[in-house]
Amino acid sequence: MEQLVFYSLGLGAVIGALGVVTAKNPILSVLSLLWTFFCLACVYLLIGFEFLAVAQILVYAGAIMVLFLFVIMLLNLGTSEAADFDTARAMGRRLPLVLLVGCTLAALSILAAQQVGGTSDEARADLRSVGSLTDLAQVMFGTYLLAFEAASILLLAGTVAVVMLAKRERRKNAA
Amino acid sequence: MNIPPQQLLILAGILFAIGVGGFVIRRNLIVVLMSIELMLNAANLTFIAASRMHSTSEVQNLDGAVFAIFVICVAAVEAAVGLALVIAFFRRHQSISLDSLGAGE
Repeated sequence: MEQLVFYSLGLGAVIGALGVVTAKNPILSVLSLLWTFFCLACVYLLIGFEFLAVAQILVYAGAIMVLFLFVIMLLNLGTSEAADFDTARAMGRRLPLVLLVGCTLAALSILAAQQVGGTSDEARADLRSVGSLTDLAQVMFGTYLLAFEAASILLLAGTVAVVMLAKRERRKNAA
Repeated sequence: MNIPPQQLLILAGILFAIGVGGFVIRRNLIVVLMSIELMLNAANLTFIAASRMHSTSEVQNLDGAVFAIFVICVAAVEAAVGLALVIAFFRRHQSISLDSLGAGE
């Protein structure tokens, strides 16, 4: 059962990745990538890394993909290629995607029900201990504390870099 | 939870190959950035698979998970800086196609 769910999730991720590379419209690429990230988050959930799955959804799907969509719409890139997009064909293209999303959601809910409902108390305790937040925090703030601090400096540097990159051009235009 | 790590590695390899293909083939800068994101995700999956490989039935190895979180952090910074560069590129060339790179100067 788990194997079947993993295979379908992997297949979905690969199809989404192919969609990213082959789609003409950048917005379709973003949506395909979103789908791939969702499948990968389900894979993480399947093998017991719950926090990683949550971080994947929050950071990747929630923040990074919104940033991509924001830039695409800011630069008005989708319209020129979307104009010669036949509506019926677009609907036909979207239908498999919708079906795929629905199938994976169904598979995931079945798996979750099976994991929670069908396991004994001992197995459930085992499930909770694997990759739990406490253990993860102990490793992250113990062994890798320096790397954690370095990541915070990296985020700060990234923020400064983005502000500089966006600001320099405007000053040049004004001068 | 009994998925062998080999299958995770195979999936990571396929995703990384697709990402490299998109990075090389596509000319749209945003799609190129998305291919990089795809490759980073494949690297994440590899970290997870390695973490699974090195954990026994009693002790769960979480080093891979921690590094995957760091990779997500780096990917967020990379996307922000990359998209700022895309905007700067667009202001300069009025296009985000890599083909316009030679013609602009």
